[in-house]
Amino acid sequence: MKFVKEKNGGIFFYMIIAPAVLFMIWLTVYPVINVIYLSFFDYDFFSGTKNFAGIENYLQVIGDKLFQRAFLNTMVFSVSATIAEVSLGTLLAFIFYRQFRGKKLFMTIVIFPMMLSTMVVCAVWRILYHYDIGLLNYLVSSSGLEPVGWLINKNMAMISIIIVDIWQWTPFAFIIMNAAMSSIPSEIFEAAQIDGAGSFKTAFKITLPILTSQIFLILMLRTIDTFKLFGKVYALTQGGPGNSTETVSYYIYREGFSYFNMGKASAASLCVLLVIASFSFIYIRQIFQED
Amino acid sequence: MKKLIVFTMVFLTAFSLFAGGKSEKETGNVMLTIAGRDGAYGDSMQMAADAYHEKHPEVTFEVLKLSGGSLYEKTVIDLKSKTGTYDIILIDDPNAPQYQQAKWLADLDVLYSEEGKKVDADFIKPALKTCRFPYKDDGTLYGLPFAGNVELFAYRTDLFEKYGFSEPVKWSELLKAVKTIDEKENGVNGVVFRGSKGNPIVTGFLPIFWAFGGKIIDDSGNVTINSKAGLDALNYFLELSKYAPEGVAMYQSAQVKDAVYAGTAAVAPEVWPGWIGDLENPEKSSVVGKVKVIKHPGEIEKSSPMIGIWIAAIPEASKNKKAAFDFLQFLTSYDMQVEMADKFGNPPTRQKPYTLSSLQTKSPWYPAQLDALNNGVARTRSTDWKQIEDKLGSALQFALIGDLTAEEALIQVEKEIKTIIK
Repeated sequence: MKFVKEKNGGIFFYMIIAPAVLFMIWLTVYPVINVIYLSFFDYDFFSGTKNFAGIENYLQVIGDKLFQRAFLNTMVFSVSATIAEVSLGTLLAFIFYRQFRGKKLFMTIVIFPMMLSTMVVCAVWRILYHYDIGLLNYLVSSSGLEPVGWLINKNMAMISIIIVDIWQWTPFAFIIMNAAMSSIPSEIFEAAQIDGAGSFKTAFKITLPILTSQIFLILMLRTIDTFKLFGKVYALTQGGPGNSTETVSYYIYREGFSYFNMGKASAASLCVLLVIASFSFIYIRQIFQED
Repeated sequence: MKKLIVFTMVFLTAFSLFAGGKSEKETGNVMLTIAGRDGAYGDSMQMAADAYHEKHPEVTFEVLKLSGGSLYEKTVIDLKSKTGTYDIILIDDPNAPQYQQAKWLADLDVLYSEEGKKVDADFIKPALKTCRFPYKDDGTLYGLPFAGNVELFAYRTDLFEKYGFSEPVKWSELLKAVKTIDEKENGVNGVVFRGSKGNPIVTGFLPIFWAFGGKIIDDSGNVTINSKAGLDALNYFLELSKYAPEGVAMYQSAQVKDAVYAGTAAVAPEVWPGWIGDLENPEKSSVVGKVKVIKHPGEIEKSSPMIGIWIAAIPEASKNKKAAFDFLQFLTSYDMQVEMADKFGNPPTRQKPYTLSSLQTKSPWYPAQLDALNNGVARTRSTDWKQIEDKLGSALQFALIGDLTAEEALIQVEKEIKTIIK
């Protein structure tokens, strides 16, 4: 009798969640399957003809020098921006952990960039970076140095975009670290103080080890986000000068929505998905281990 | 509770019967959805829609004002799915072959013959030809030219006079003037153009390339960009760029316009009618009466300005083709073209508006613009133009920033174009 009840309860449970699960499958699983399917076809979007191409799209994408460059650029951007944002966010969280006058005001100022849309951020930085009339070059020239081609020099353009991303997204890392630090019981710090641990030792031996899983969480979130870099490139450099700021998202966008090469765009998307999933897997494993 | 549910259902059923009484067609009311451009083109389209609605109150409009990229994406996806969301769409002429070949557009020859009419002879021929497929004078008509955009050439008459140069007729003559002014005139660069990757740099380069006798793809379909003519043109372009401002490789239209209006460049080999509307306005321009806008110099070939027509077309899937066709004729009529030119600087696609003295006073370059349109060259008619343009744009920029020599750039782009059209 108990078994029947449990069984019925189980069926009822599955019936209740079925619509939500089906909806989720329709929203997430179906598009992914469709992308996988398309990646094996030479699909002419305009005429609608689809010819099976095997792994030809993958070979084309991986062999495409532009994709290789875009992938390398994306990796450089993702690693640099993520490490810088997490480091600076953590540092800010330490600074804001103490009480000081005007803390709320400064906190609002610090998190302000995150509230702005990427296009607004880019519009502001485009002016700051302007070679002739930009504030940055005004300061550089005032110091007696040569003006910098922030967005027009192929060696500087990617660095300039990284700086913009750090400016916009360090607050995100800061907020999470700040919240995590606030949740650490103060008794731990008091005990450390009684035992004679200084600020430096407390930070590195107590606070940071406690916050490891939060740090990995932010690393994962920022890696995923930075790997999808598109808006800043679109608004600031459009991939130039040369191919110095080409990114995989920009490559996929162009293949998909400018050329409508859906097969190639799908193959490129899956390559990127594979990389992001691998990173995420490593981070998630680390987070669970820490927990 | 049961009573309440029954009452609600009866009420809703009765309401839906009345609400669904007559369709738009039956009542004569039509709503036309237009996928158009933003900026002055969008304002012009809105004005035409409002004027048409005033004459035909039964026709209402929804005008979508989209950026070029967004318009292309939305219309391709919608026309492919044949949902009939849009009744009129704007198409940039180099993209037209994709829509035309896919048979996504209504055949206007049929619509004209149903009404016992013929297309007006006043339309500028090269502009009208871009609406036909195949790209021939007798190709099927799939749209009407809405905006007669054409690339023009601007130069500082005061500086040319000061240093003893006359109006450039050949590109090779121009180089000396550009070099001299760049070297001798403080705060003035010899030349300014859009050097950004893709469409911008290609647009600046093509009138030079064509004038030097270059062809991207010849009449037999062979890729011929890497030719002597192509190399001469690219070498000339790179020589010219030595007198451009620092960072020209990232210049977009805003920087070019700023330089022209501020008078910090002696020559702008690429200006568009929409950019130069305020050149003679002292509140916005520092070069009133000092800039002349002409068609491009020639070289081996005659002057070859690039035309960039915006075509208004009716999707085959539209449910309101007749109403859309009537509006299309109104939109491209002489009166509306004059009004759009007068109020928003929309470049007309008919001959006559260019001869109106009232419009010539506002835009003194109108005779040159008409001349350029009549002698204009359309971009290569290929369904792969977007990819070809991007590859060419990248190769040109690599050459511009010194990553590739002119020879290497042409070898690279030839190989890439061959792969694309294969």
